[in-house]
Amino acid sequence: MSDLAGTLIPIVDLRRNQPRFRGLEAGHLACLGCGQALAARLVTEAAGPDVVVANATGCLEVFTTAWPQSAWRVPWLHSLFENAAAVASGMEAALKAQGKSAKVLAFGGDGGTFDIGFQALSGMLERGHNVLYVCFDNEAYMNTGVQRSSSTPHAAMTTTSPPGKARMGKRHLKKDIISIIAAHNIPYAATASVAYPSDIRKKVRRALEIDGPAFINIHSPCPLGWGHDGSLSIEVARLAVECGLFPVVELERGALTGTMPLRAPRPVTDYLKPQQRFAHLFQNDPRAREELEHLQALADYNIETYGLRGERPDPLDSAGADTVRRGGVRWA
Amino acid sequence: MAIYTRGGFALPETSLASKTGTWRLQRPIHRHSSAPCHTACPAGEDPQAYLAQVAEGRWREAWETLVAANPLPAITGRVCDHPCESGCNRGQYDEAIAIHNVERFLGDQAIREGWAYPVTPPSVNAHRVAVVGAGPAGLSAAYHLCRLGYQVTLLDMLPEAGGTLRTALPPYRLPREVLAQETQRLLAIGIEFLAHHALGRDVSLDELCADYGAVFLAPGRQQGREWSVDGRVPADLHTGLRLLQEWVAVGTIPKVKSAAIVGGGNSAVDLARVLRKTGAEVHVITHDALPKLGVPPEGAMKAIPREVKQAQEEGVMFHEHRGIQRLLLRGERVVGVEMVHMKKLPRPDGSIGIVPFEGTETVLHVEQIIPAIGQVVLAAGMERILEGSPFFAVDLWGHVANHPGVFAGGDARKGSRGTVSGAVGDGRRAALAIDGYLKGVATVEHHTEAIPLESLNLNYFEHEPRAEEPLLAVEQRSGDAEVAGGLVEPQVMAESLRCFSCGMCLACDNCWTLCPDQSVLKIKELASDGSHYVFDYDYCKGCGLCARECPSGYIVMEDELLFAGRY
Ligand SMILES: Cc1cc2nc3c(=O)[nH]c(=O)nc-3n(C[C@H](O)[C@H](O)[C@H](O)COP(=O)(O)OP(=O)(O)OC[C@H]3O[C@@H](n4cnc5c(N)ncnc54)[C@H](O)[C@@H]3O)c2cc1C
Ligand SMILES: Cc1ncc(C[n+]2csc(CCOP(=O)(O)OP(=O)(O)O)c2C)c(N)n1
Ligand code: SF4
Ligand code: SF4
Ligand code: SF4
Ligand SMILES: [Mg+2]
Repeated sequence: MSDLAGTLIPIVDLRRNQPRFRGLEAGHLACLGCGQALAARLVTEAAGPDVVVANATGCLEVFTTAWPQSAWRVPWLHSLFENAAAVASGMEAALKAQGKSAKVLAFGGDGGTFDIGFQALSGMLERGHNVLYVCFDNEAYMNTGVQRSSSTPHAAMTTTSPPGKARMGKRHLKKDIISIIAAHNIPYAATASVAYPSDIRKKVRRALEIDGPAFINIHSPCPLGWGHDGSLSIEVARLAVECGLFPVVELERGALTGTMPLRAPRPVTDYLKPQQRFAHLFQNDPRAREELEHLQALADYNIETYGLRGERPDPLDSAGADTVRRGGVRWA
Repeated sequence: MAIYTRGGFALPETSLASKTGTWRLQRPIHRHSSAPCHTACPAGEDPQAYLAQVAEGRWREAWETLVAANPLPAITGRVCDHPCESGCNRGQYDEAIAIHNVERFLGDQAIREGWAYPVTPPSVNAHRVAVVGAGPAGLSAAYHLCRLGYQVTLLDMLPEAGGTLRTALPPYRLPREVLAQETQRLLAIGIEFLAHHALGRDVSLDELCADYGAVFLAPGRQQGREWSVDGRVPADLHTGLRLLQEWVAVGTIPKVKSAAIVGGGNSAVDLARVLRKTGAEVHVITHDALPKLGVPPEGAMKAIPREVKQAQEEGVMFHEHRGIQRLLLRGERVVGVEMVHMKKLPRPDGSIGIVPFEGTETVLHVEQIIPAIGQVVLAAGMERILEGSPFFAVDLWGHVANHPGVFAGGDARKGSRGTVSGAVGDGRRAALAIDGYLKGVATVEHHTEAIPLESLNLNYFEHEPRAEEPLLAVEQRSGDAEVAGGLVEPQVMAESLRCFSCGMCLACDNCWTLCPDQSVLKIKELASDGSHYVFDYDYCKGCGLCARECPSGYIVMEDELLFAGRY
């Protein structure tokens, strides 16, 4: 059913004839406004049909494949929480042995990537497999009910890092995964955000052109786990970039080769305020103030370390990279 | 229906069996809202609509959209005070779209290309309507009546159509070829034009009422007002309008060394500029404020701000918040005026009065004093309708109370904005009302609120400077050469691409790109609502993300209960 009144095309045919490749179809069971569902849609669209996917356990795996259904339109395999990179390595070796050209993608959540799947990933990178590993970073173990991961930001509330007398949310810092990945001296490692679809597309294409292991970490808001309305997923993701807490960068062979400069850095509070997981930081409590200052300092540190402050407006900076035009023309 | 496979693998896209649309509490819908440029346009144009067509390179369709409301774009594109631009949402972001320049370009292009107005000539046995006065109000009414299928007779006491545009607007602002082309092309759609026909002299109102189904009166304001200072009038008094009309018609104006013009409207400013061209020292004295940022329109001079600015560039001296308290006469001859600071202030009874401030008197030595303080309707032939008042009292649709079948508008009506676009709008509304009157149905207004800037998502736009048209250098502003140069095609295109498309789909693909549920589908042909996108409510979960991220405010979320039973 749709508002196709006045046109004579059945909606099913319309869906089939969309002028873009659909890797991830409708009917999946993600929450309303799921950033990860969007990110996965964008990645598979850009990667094209000639791919195979190994997916770690996690929300993406669960909501796309409620047995006996699948939302995928590419060959897709799920094995375990901890081994997506190992499975992808095997797929790549097998395809190579068969002389096939399909590209291999590995998908994992931040839990499956930063934590439990990390050694498999490190091994895959070290062995130089020609695989693009994409981490959908929603900053906690969402599928099992919002437990903290090593990607959860400092001071965020999760069910295992509740704010209380002893702590204001998570005690530790968000792991600097991109530097660790880049330290494997791989040809391409990047971060991206669902708020910048063209940037994601560009990075996926770039990564797939490269022979050898590539890695992209995509910041993907989780309305349920972060505690914001589903309609705000893009807005929240954009603010994370604009305040400096989630730097968008590219590293090749360990060297910084690209950043998305910030047109006008926003205060971190703009980003934190709409999210329930940071609500305790807006209480009248000196500890809350200190944590807000700490997060601001972390953002400032990112801006400084990566040189994110743009000197002049740039068409591809944080304010320009999402510009739209009549007719849908985007830069990527 | 679930499909089970040997080995337990799932087939591609079998998730489509899960109709996640049932989760929805709110549904996104496309809703067109009026753009502020549209609600601000007195002529009723929808600039958003034609800017979109320009952006797609559909020039002729853009012109047709424009002239669906206003048949005189080459004229208004030059002389309108463009409230559309003051209303333009983009003005709050960087600079308003140069709408008047786009309008002018389209009007000129239609003349150049000879595009015919999209009007089918009325049938011979169609109802007949008479229109008195061939100024912008009468021309607009005649045109819209023609579009509605009526036979129109348009009469004017002057030899040619155009009204005040022809008799008083200086050619350096409105070149006469443009005026002639636009009016001739317009009359050619099948309007019967009777020149040299004065109501009250050649035909009476009763005769018109008897011979025609309805009459629209648009005589403008042709009668000067009485003017004196403390009961004294200089011997050689001419009103500003009369001097201007003479200059426009004959090309000469009595030479003086210095003059003071009283008034703050377009006549005052135009006359000041014309006198200035003769080398005179020219002062404009107005009790209003000079138009500048922060001055509310009610408190500012009525003249168009850009004209005031150009006059200042040319050396005209303005005295704002001033009035004339006394004429300095040598015999009957003016040698100067005594000015005093004045301000419009509320009186204790709530009315507005002009209060002079004692102790602020100054003397200005000038040879001539010219009142340009506005005109009233020349009542001849219309006395029985005017009943002694200076203007027609009409409603929004131009109905003259107690005179069924008689309509009035333009400058001649009470409360008129005194502008060309206002006159065009009056003519259009009166045509609709006459159509309703002749068909026996009431004409209703569709009042729409303009979509505010807050309803747009500005993250998706970039700052871009507005295209500026070239102006003649002050030294070159002599004779009839047009001062404002207009924009060229690439600039017009660039302006159209700057438009936010407030309240209407920008076809930007954002909803299609950002829906996590693949529930926005793109179509080649236009959907019923005029966009290129449809929602697939079988799967849309109603997250609201598309509505939030729609740059133009075209998607809104509605409570699903409103659609109960329709799913
Ligand atoms: C000097 C000057 C500069 C201006 N500049 C601007 C400007 O820059 N921008 C702007 O928007 N507006 C401007 N205006 C105002 C604008 O010209 C008027 O608002 C507009 O022309 C009004 O249109 P109208 O059709 O109501 O009347 P008019 O244009 O005055 O037309 C009335 C017509 O009716 C005819 N008529 C009158 N009585 C009779 C009768 N009894 N029988 C037959 N015919 C009759 C007249 O001959 C005339 O042709 C200016 C006005 C002046 C005087
Ligand atoms: C070895 C193992 N431990 C624990 C689990 C339970 N488990 C399934 S998904 C998940 C969390 C996934 O978190 P993340 O990788 O961040 O993905 P998300 O669900 O947040 O997208 C956990 C702990 C498991 N499936 N396997
Ligand atoms: S941006 Fe465009 S649609 Fe919006 S008010 Fe301005 S001209 Fe009109
Ligand atoms: S983004 Fe998609 S799922 Fe969400 S309301 Fe819009 S169409 Fe529906
Ligand atoms: S997001 Fe863009 S394409 Fe979609 S409805 Fe809004 S303006 Fe149109
Ligand atoms: Mg996670």
